[in-house]
Amino acid sequence: MSASLDKLLENPRVWRGRNAIQQKTGLASGYPELDRHLPGGGWPQQALIEILTEQYGIGELRLLMPALARLCAEDPQSEQAEPGWIAWIAPPFQPYPPALRQCGIDLSRMLIVRPKDAGDVLWSTEQALSSGTCAAVLFWPEKLDDQASRRLQLAAEKGSSWAVAFRPLAARQQPSAAALRLELHGTGEGTRVHVIKSRGGHPAVLNNLL
Amino acid sequence: MVRDAAPTPPGTQQDLPLEETVPPDEAPGSPIEAAPGRFEASIRRKSWPVAAPAERLWFCAWLPNLPLESVDDRGGGPMAIVAEQHGIHRVVMADAAAQAAGIMAGQSANAALALLPTLQLTERSVLREEQTLERLASLLERFSSFVCIAAHDVLLLELAGSLRLFGGLRRLRTEIVESMRLLGFSVMPAIAPTPLGATWLARSGRCSCIRETGNLVTTLRKLSLASLDWPASLLAELAGMGVTTVGDCLRLPREGFVRRFGAERLLELDRALGHLPDPRNSWRAPERFSADHEMTEEQADRSVLLNICRELLLSQERFLLARQLGIQRLCFSFFHLKGAATELRLGGARAERSAAHWFGLLGIRFEQLQLPEAVIAVRLQSGLAQPLRTESDNLNFTGTPGAQQRRFSITQLAERLVARVGEQSVHAMMMVADHRPHYAWRAQSILADWAGSTLPDERWRIQRPLWMLPEPAELPLDSGYPLHQGCRLRLLDGPERLETGWWDEDGISRDYYTAINPAGMRLWIFRNRQRPTTWYLHGYFG
Repeated sequence: MSASLDKLLENPRVWRGRNAIQQKTGLASGYPELDRHLPGGGWPQQALIEILTEQYGIGELRLLMPALARLCAEDPQSEQAEPGWIAWIAPPFQPYPPALRQCGIDLSRMLIVRPKDAGDVLWSTEQALSSGTCAAVLFWPEKLDDQASRRLQLAAEKGSSWAVAFRPLAARQQPSAAALRLELHGTGEGTRVHVIKSRGGHPAVLNNLL
Repeated sequence: MVRDAAPTPPGTQQDLPLEETVPPDEAPGSPIEAAPGRFEASIRRKSWPVAAPAERLWFCAWLPNLPLESVDDRGGGPMAIVAEQHGIHRVVMADAAAQAAGIMAGQSANAALALLPTLQLTERSVLREEQTLERLASLLERFSSFVCIAAHDVLLLELAGSLRLFGGLRRLRTEIVESMRLLGFSVMPAIAPTPLGATWLARSGRCSCIRETGNLVTTLRKLSLASLDWPASLLAELAGMGVTTVGDCLRLPREGFVRRFGAERLLELDRALGHLPDPRNSWRAPERFSADHEMTEEQADRSVLLNICRELLLSQERFLLARQLGIQRLCFSFFHLKGAATELRLGGARAERSAAHWFGLLGIRFEQLQLPEAVIAVRLQSGLAQPLRTESDNLNFTGTPGAQQRRFSITQLAERLVARVGEQSVHAMMMVADHRPHYAWRAQSILADWAGSTLPDERWRIQRPLWMLPEPAELPLDSGYPLHQGCRLRLLDGPERLETGWWDEDGISRDYYTAINPAGMRLWIFRNRQRPTTWYLHGYFG
């Protein structure tokens, strides 16, 4: 097979039926059950993903922690001279360092930014994504329209970074350029993760993941 | 004579040929010429060389009380400077009032406070002393074009060129000493034809004023070695040999002296006596860049103003490039016909000179700048120029896309973010060794130098929440049970008792629990043990 055909088949948007070759292009999430439902076997890299939830304390951060810990760890195999930073832009509360440490996160690579208005949140996110310094950017926008999400998606590709937007459940109705959209619902038994959009994948519901 | 009494180190007995010693009184008449600049060759000379005539005159100001006098706000009461030695704070220097109460250098800080409870203790700061010395140096630049910071407490001025202007040596000396005394500095002055000679004489505490090299040699011969700032071990060794003055040193054979005490010491002696040149670096006050751009008519067009700023930044870049310097801070002033000027300050993490860098930062801030009216002139003033620290980059043979995409470093990113959202809103975090949850971490400016957390990676038995509330929130109660979002909580884990911090104002005594509400939210709540009926929410297990 020619190289260009190979490349075309690697594209997650090409559906190849049941016996498709699973390409490991994603960033392993640390939750095997979730990885099985994500195209590429993990979080899409160099992309914007959205996590829609209105509750705190249902595991919305724990979902990301294994991947973040891997991103900010020293990797001797990597060609990058040093591991990337993780930027938190407009977090609703204080990310608590002792807990981050328990999750295996390198604290010396955290950058917290608290812009004063909504415009600055998007501006700071775009700067952090396109800088090429941040391996991941977590942000809590007040509003994120289709155009802004497209911009951030491009910035993430440009800076080979990973953008994670945390948005309320109402944002489900709005169109978005995100490669992956998840809904998180806390229940008494555990947290239900609902994959509502997945580029190259299928919607899915995972009960009691966290 | 001296030699017979001296205990010689074993194995060096043969190295001391007595016939090599030339009596001091014969030295000036010795036919061996001095070879200026050829120090290595001069070591092998048998006698100490002949003095050259003086062309320069050095004024030395020794500031023995600099640690004390560099403190700006002396309360008026007795004061002492302390420094940490082996984990104990000890008095380094005490002022007259403290000394009268029996406080001496070497005492521990606690002992000094016991003697005099009103004593004001100040930590010694080398940086503060350096800054004070630089301030004095820039003040003394008015008396001489050549000022030099020779040691941590010594200033040197070359006076030969200033004598005529200031009306003679005596008046000049009085004026210099008086000008420093007015600022509250006690000075030990000395004048000599060589810089080291002047320094030694000043340290000896005698206010000598010597203009002739011949007189200098005579005076230095009598000088005790204690005023030479040589290490104590060396002085003890010399004293053991019966050598206590500079003159005694000069009586020793040169080659043997170098073998025992190093060429460095002989070089110092030669330089002090004026046999060898003693080049010094002149101190210069740090430079600043300042430039104005005036316009013939008022200008309100922001793009025109931005262009003017770019021009100013480019001329600043040329200025800095020629001097290999960079700046960390700068200030633009936009002048209006009426009212005060609008100022825009920019700062960075490290010294930078590139106009493009500063223009990038300016662009971010200029968008938000409110100009009350049209602008008639723009001024750029730079902060203190500093030596530029350039960063080396990896040699990239392969041209991997990852390396190319790194547009700027984390400090550059932080600088841009700070320029837009303010310095308080951008920070990194580090952990602090404290059991109190709200003291267990600290925000840390990302622009300052920091090495990250240094705490050992201990494993806590109990999970901490990823989200922390800025202040604990009191939970409503339903017949003694805490409620969250109107529902009762179920306790999953706990209690973890934290009872600590009694030594300061903010002691806590709390029982922490992990709780879950019916919606599945996991909370970190605590009960205050002093008031067991109130419950607080402190974090979420995000």
